[in-house]
Amino acid sequence: MNAPIIDPLQGDFPEVIEEYLEHGVIKCVAFNHRGSLLAAGCADGGCVIFDFETRGIAKELRENDCAAAITSVSWSKYGHRLLVSAADKSLTLWDVSTGEKIARTTLQQTPLHARLNPGLSSPSLCLACPLSSAPMIVDFEIGCTTLLPVSVPEMPDVLAPQQRSKCAESGPPFSPAAACFNKCGDLVYVGNAKGEILIVDYKSVRVLALVPVTGGSAVKNIVFSRNGQYLLTNSHDRTIRIYENLLPGKNVLSSLEELGKNVDGLDGVEKMKTVGSKCLTLFREFQDLVTKMHWKAPCFSGDGEWVVGGSACKGEHKIYIWDRAGHLVKILEGPKEALIDLAWHPVHPVIVSVSLTGLVYIWAKDYTENWSAFAPDFKELEENEEYVEREDEFDLIPETGKVKVSSVNEDEEVDIETVEKDAFSDSDMSVEELRYLPAEPIPDTNEEEQDELKLIEARISASPASEEAGQNGHVADHTSSPLGEEMGETRGKRKRKPSEKAMELQAEKAKSSKASGRTVREKSRASGDQEIDGSVNGVDDDDDDAYF
Amino acid sequence: MAEEAAYIPYVHCQTLNSHGHALSSVKFSSDGRLLASASGDQTIRTYAINLKGDRIAEPAQVFTGHDSGISDVAFSTDARFIASASDDKTLKLWDVETGSLIKTLHGHTNYVFCVNFNPQSNMIASGSFDETVRIWDVTTGKCLKVLPAHSDPVTAVDFNRDGSLIVSSSYDGLCRIWDSGTGHCVKTLMDDENPPVSFVRFSPNGKFILVGTLDNTLRLWNISSAKYIKTYTGHANSQYSVSSAFSVTNGKRIVSGSEDNCVYMWELNSRKLLQKLEGHTEPVMSVACHPTENLIASGSLDKSIRIWAQEN
Repeated sequence: MNAPIIDPLQGDFPEVIEEYLEHGVIKCVAFNHRGSLLAAGCADGGCVIFDFETRGIAKELRENDCAAAITSVSWSKYGHRLLVSAADKSLTLWDVSTGEKIARTTLQQTPLHARLNPGLSSPSLCLACPLSSAPMIVDFEIGCTTLLPVSVPEMPDVLAPQQRSKCAESGPPFSPAAACFNKCGDLVYVGNAKGEILIVDYKSVRVLALVPVTGGSAVKNIVFSRNGQYLLTNSHDRTIRIYENLLPGKNVLSSLEELGKNVDGLDGVEKMKTVGSKCLTLFREFQDLVTKMHWKAPCFSGDGEWVVGGSACKGEHKIYIWDRAGHLVKILEGPKEALIDLAWHPVHPVIVSVSLTGLVYIWAKDYTENWSAFAPDFKELEENEEYVEREDEFDLIPETGKVKVSSVNEDEEVDIETVEKDAFSDSDMSVEELRYLPAEPIPDTNEEEQDELKLIEARISASPASEEAGQNGHVADHTSSPLGEEMGETRGKRKRKPSEKAMELQAEKAKSSKASGRTVREKSRASGDQEIDGSVNGVDDDDDDAYF
Repeated sequence: MAEEAAYIPYVHCQTLNSHGHALSSVKFSSDGRLLASASGDQTIRTYAINLKGDRIAEPAQVFTGHDSGISDVAFSTDARFIASASDDKTLKLWDVETGSLIKTLHGHTNYVFCVNFNPQSNMIASGSFDETVRIWDVTTGKCLKVLPAHSDPVTAVDFNRDGSLIVSSSYDGLCRIWDSGTGHCVKTLMDDENPPVSFVRFSPNGKFILVGTLDNTLRLWNISSAKYIKTYTGHANSQYSVSSAFSVTNGKRIVSGSEDNCVYMWELNSRKLLQKLEGHTEPVMSVACHPTENLIASGSLDKSIRIWAQEN
């Protein structure tokens, strides 16, 4: 609906830190399907859901008996449920709209990574990857945990070991492995320490295919793109590899079975490898040849066009962005704090990165004002153009009573009701998606009212600067007009571009905000504390002064 | 009075005289159960809509607290809250059930003229005589953005159906469309002569805007082509900010108030004047169409609200 008006956002990537979110010490983040809500797990065991549009807190999920740091958060497909894994070996499933706990289990080991099945609308099935054990499927309804195979044994006709038990027994020591669901949630792709990707049918606990990763070093992360067409692996040899998924979107299991049957004369590992070669092909490899750094939390952009990876070096906050063809397009540098988690917004070119200090930085495109939007007949020029006037341009011609002829055919049918299908919805929307949590306004108390009024009076009398002026450069121009009496004089000013000086200052501020720890355009988001208003406004006033 | 074949005229059903001063705005809630009215008597009133009863609208609550007359009122999508815009330079957020004041939003430096919730009802947009549009966070009451919207008082603000765009109109003759997420201007719609724009709203599908200007004209603009495609005339609008609405419950129509004390209704596509609802004794400032029933509410400077329904 807004596609014809706003420029297409696909193919863009963020450039600067726009603001940061703060709520205790945040450890991990996850966007919901649409990117309207951001779930963040904290070090104190609570989980907070931010409304990403207002950048405020929408809900807090907290369990009194869980005080261990959260290791991962994962949304269900339509956003109704949230899975939280914590350092006290527990997995908790929350109902987002009510804020109530649905289920909770404790595992043998701390799950580093837990993901809800993306294929079901109300999943109670999840994949958990513990620190030093095989990835397992945890079913909350039945209450059982199934360990997944991490390697294919060399003997041809023995299936991978099956272990199904009410409580997972600590089997033979498996080396850590990474795993993820495919897009429809009926297969699990496991990356093991030997550098192989195993495609596992978790219902029958069978390895269906095997894809060896070049180089054979342990796979640390394995992630699918949102449309399920590309798979990304992050290996111990500091390389990120992109694979193209050759399997069809639906009925994957039957396709795999077909492939398995068609392979004649091969058994065991060889058979797996042949089937595997028909499932994934290596597309690209990314590495930083100069610094040879390890990567942390690599993932795809929402449309799969870009790959982003964070540098795992302590003491620096660098985010590398590649396009899918393999070219490094941007390195984002943040304040000098280690990066621990990264997420790309599903829809907008916005990246969210979590630093070791527990702050969530929001990276967005640097906006240059589009002046043509303000005046339709105003054309922006990149540089001076020589204008050659027509021969008769300045001739004086007597006005012959011109009547404005309306060239509009007003009799055409106009449709004011039909709406186009949402471009961003993939898959059928038979289930109602939870996009927003209803806003609960926090009631004013008497003191806050008084504070607000005093602030406003002080501001009006002291400086004409308007609060929250940090939004865009030319609001600063408006601040020179006192409240409305002298609107006539400043009217002309508003229609022009801001002066060069203002543009320079703005550019400087944008540059410095990248490097410095504190951003200029911040709005600190403590959980709805009204008192913060005072300090935020105070800060912004200082910034305004800098403009003059 | 033009009549179409098979056009069933609206008739006057009820008059509500609860306010002590001129009416500035009437709005139905999106579930159609409530009607809200804002007035110069510094109060907002809600009425329960009961289609089966004798009286369609029964007074429900009175909201007092503003220090000056109120120019506009808006329901949140779930009809739990209403927001009001007042000449005391503040907006107030009220609880519909209890009638109590929840929050006051400070920040505007002149009369606040118009207000609207976004469909998700987590943000409020307001336009003011201080020439800015402000976007507020409902939960905390903080002003999220100040849009340097116009160079004259802002007369109307509206969100489109998914809340991604805001349209604002002003006496400076321009309608501007803003991206509600970033606060950046996306488009400006203006004509060769730019008469002051007194009202604007999005069509139900967000592709068109209905623009009322102080030269007695209503126009339907296509946003992407930035040209107007329909013109509606016959009514009087040269002084006040008279509001208009789309009526889609029974054929596509445009309904508008007028300074000649009547409510005008045109067919959307043919632009033919279908009916003039007479009864008010002073200019009709605001009209609202019920979302599902063939019901129109009109508020006028004569301090009354009239409810019109189709006779069946």
